[in-house]
Amino acid sequence: MSRADETLKRKPKRWIINLVFVVAMVVAIAFSFSGSSINWTRLRTIGLSLKVMFQGLADFKYDFLFGTGVYQFDEGVVYMALVTLAIAFIGTFIGAILAIPFGFLASENIVGKYVAKIGEAILVIIRVFPEIVLAIILVKGFGMNAVTGVLTIGLHSIGMLGKLFAEAIDNMDKSPLEALDAVGANAWQKIRYGIIPQVAADISSITLYRFDINVRSATVLGIVGAGGLGASLILAAENWNWDILGTILLAIVVMVLLVDVVSSRLRSKLV
Amino acid sequence: MGVPCVTTKYLVSSMSKITLTNGKTVTKPFNKIWIVVAVVALLLYLFSLLIPFDSSTVKLEELKVILIKMFTPKGNRTWEDYFKYLLKLKNPLIDTLNMSFAGTIIGSLMALPLAVLAAKNIVKKPYIYIPARTIMNLFRTIPAMVLALIAVFFVGIGVLSGIIAITLFTFGIMSKMLYEVIETVDMNPFEALESTGATKTEAFRYAVLPQVTPVFVSYLIYIFEINVRSSTILGYVGAGGIGSVIKDNILYNYDRVGASIILMFVVVLSVQLLSSFLRRRLQ
Amino acid sequence: MIKFVDVSKTYPNGVKALHGVNLEIKDGEFVGIIGLSGAGKSTLLRSINKMISITSGKLYIDDVEISSIKGKELRMLRRGIGMIFQSFNLVKRMSVYNNVLTGRVAYHPTFKTVFGLFPKADKLMALESLDTMGILDKAFTRADQLSGGQQQRVALARALTQKPKLILADEPVASLDPITTVQVMDDFAKINRDFGITVIANMHHVDLALKYATRIIGIKEGEVVYDGDSKSIDDETLVQIYGRSLRHDEVLGE
Repeated sequence: MSRADETLKRKPKRWIINLVFVVAMVVAIAFSFSGSSINWTRLRTIGLSLKVMFQGLADFKYDFLFGTGVYQFDEGVVYMALVTLAIAFIGTFIGAILAIPFGFLASENIVGKYVAKIGEAILVIIRVFPEIVLAIILVKGFGMNAVTGVLTIGLHSIGMLGKLFAEAIDNMDKSPLEALDAVGANAWQKIRYGIIPQVAADISSITLYRFDINVRSATVLGIVGAGGLGASLILAAENWNWDILGTILLAIVVMVLLVDVVSSRLRSKLV
Repeated sequence: MGVPCVTTKYLVSSMSKITLTNGKTVTKPFNKIWIVVAVVALLLYLFSLLIPFDSSTVKLEELKVILIKMFTPKGNRTWEDYFKYLLKLKNPLIDTLNMSFAGTIIGSLMALPLAVLAAKNIVKKPYIYIPARTIMNLFRTIPAMVLALIAVFFVGIGVLSGIIAITLFTFGIMSKMLYEVIETVDMNPFEALESTGATKTEAFRYAVLPQVTPVFVSYLIYIFEINVRSSTILGYVGAGGIGSVIKDNILYNYDRVGASIILMFVVVLSVQLLSSFLRRRLQ
Repeated sequence: MIKFVDVSKTYPNGVKALHGVNLEIKDGEFVGIIGLSGAGKSTLLRSINKMISITSGKLYIDDVEISSIKGKELRMLRRGIGMIFQSFNLVKRMSVYNNVLTGRVAYHPTFKTVFGLFPKADKLMALESLDTMGILDKAFTRADQLSGGQQQRVALARALTQKPKLILADEPVASLDPITTVQVMDDFAKINRDFGITVIANMHHVDLALKYATRIIGIKEGEVVYDGDSKSIDDETLVQIYGRSLRHDEVLGE
C-alpha cells in the first residue's frame, strides 16, 4: 500500500502544465480577435447575404459555362478554366526545367556542402514570397495577361522544385557513379548515365505534385491580373454576382479535384 | 478494336532489331518514355494556343523602373522615412500574425472530429466516412484567397474575414492530413482498450489520440507556417494584414509596397526557420 | 464459470472457425488451449469476451447468456475480463502508469475518462498492480522504452487493474525470448494462484502449456478433440490434435 502511495506522489504533475498551456492558448486566440473591428451592419445582414448567395447559386448560369448565348465561348468558365490549366501546365514545365540546375546546385552530393548551402539559401528566398506578390510585380513588366501568370508560376515553382530535386539527388544510390568513374566517364556523362536514370522518376513525381499545387495558385493569380479564372472571380465577388461566382467556384472545385486525382494516379504509377 | 491494333503495329515497327556479329538477333523493346514525351509536347502545344503572347505588352524597362521605385524612397521622402514606414507597419503585421494564429488553431480543432469521421479504421461505415471526405475535399480545393473573398462578402473588410478564411483553409488541409495519420496508427491498443470494456470514444482517447498528438502538433506548426505566408497577401482582397497595405498603395506609393514586401519577407522567413527548428525538435 | 453450448462460428467469408463446441470452465482454472495455427484457438478465446461474436449456440458466463448482449452490458462484461495479446497492445508513447490506468476506463463515465479524471483509489490500484508485477519503478517511463517481457508485464498489470475474475491470453509469449517467456508464464501462474483468477491461454509452445496449465483443451479444425488434465496427456493425443508429430518450433525446450 505505502509503496504505491509513495510512487503516486512522484507522479509528474502534467495537468498543471496542460492547464496553463490551454489558458494561454485561449487568451492568445481571444487577443487575435481583438484586432477585428466587427462590422455590425454586415453581421446583421448575414441572413440577407446567405439568401443572396443561395439565390445566386440556384440561378446557376449554364450558358456561362460554355459561353453559349450572352457570353462568347472565350468568356465562358470552361474556357477560363482551360486557360488556368494552361498557365499551371506551362508554368510548371518551365519551373521544372529551371529547377533542375538549381537542384544540382543545392545538392551536397554534386557540389559539396558549402556551395549546396548557397543554393539552398537561394531556393529558400524564392519560396518565401507568396506567388501573388511575384505576380503583382511581374504584371508591371509583362502586362495584365496569362503570360505573366505562366512566368509567375514558373519562377515561383523553382523554390520548392529545386529543394525537392536536390533531396532526390542526395538520396540516390551513389555506387553507379563510382562505376562510371571507373569506366572513365566525365561529369556530364555521369549526370546523363548515372544520375538522370536514377532521379527521373522522382523528379517527374515531384513535378506532378507541384502541378497539382500550381493549378490551385493559378486560379487566384487573375485577382492581380495575371490571367485565368481569378479575374472574373474577383469581379463577380466585388459585384456580388453569386450566380457567376457560384459557377466559377464549381469550376475551381471540379478542376482541382480532377487534377488531384489524375496527378496522384500518375504519381502512384511512377513509384 | 481499331485503336489498339494500330498502337501495337506502331510499337512493333518501332522496335529495333539488332543483329549480333554471330548472327543472333536481339529485339530492343520500345521505350515508353517516348509516349510520355509526345503527350507532354502535345499538351504544351495545345495549352500554348490558349496563351497568346503579345510582345507589345512586355515593358521590361518599366519593370526595372518600378523595382527601383519599390526599394528606394519616393520623391522627397528620405531613407529614414522609408525605414520609419516599416515600423508603422507594426499593426498590419500583428493583424497578419493574429489571423494566422487564430485561424490555424481554430481550424485544426475543427478538423479533428472530421478527420476521425473520415478515418476508415475508426468509423467503419461508408455513409459516414464518404460524406466526411467530401466535405474536407471541398474546403481543401478552394484557395485561401477565394475563401477570403467570400468571407469579406459576409462579414466585411477586416481581420475577421482573414480569420474565417484561414480557419476554413486549415480545416480542409488539416482534416485531410490528420485522417491519413489516423488511418496508419497502430490499432492494437485500440483493440486492447475495447477488450477492457471501454467505449469507442474512450478507446480512441486512450489508444489513438496519444499516437496522433505529436504528429498533430508538428502539422499544426507546419500549417501555421503556410498560413503566415498566405495571410500576408489575403489583405489584397480585403481580409486585413500586410496585404491590405500593398493593395492601398499599389497605384501611387511603390516605396510603401516595397517596404511591405521587405517586411513580408522577413516575417515569413523567420516563421519558416522557427517552424523547421521546432519540428526538428519534436522528432 | 464459462459454459459453451454447441457454439459455432462461421466468418462472413465462409470459413468455419468453430464447430459445435461444448465446454465448461470452472472458476480458478488455468486452461491451456493448443492446436495448429488456424485451428480456431483465437476464435474460441475471443468469443468469450465477444471480441468475436459467435454465429450459433449459447455461451454463458456466470449463467448470463452473452451472445445477445451489447452496448453497456457488453462493456460491463468485458471490464471484468482481462485480455493479454501477443504484441502487448500497449500505447507505446504513453507512460507505463497511464497504460495501466486504462484498465479502469470502463468503470467511469466517458465524460470523466476523456479528460483523464480518475479517483485516487484507481490510481493506487494501477500502481499496486505494477508492484505486483515487480515493475513499480518503471511507472513513469514511456512504454516503448521497456523490454518485451516488461511490456507484457505492463499489459498484465493493466489486466489486473480491471480487477478481473478471468484473464484471456492470446499467444501471450509468442513474441518473447525463451528466458522472458518462462518469467512471464510464472507471472500468469502467480496471478492464477494468488488471486484465484481464471486464466485461459492460447499457447503455441505445447510443452509450456503442459507445464503451466492445469487443464488442456486441444482444438482441431474448429472442434474440441481433447479436453482433460495436462498431466495425463500423451504423445499419441498430441499427434491426434496436431495431425502429425510436433515440430521443433512448437516446443520451447528447457
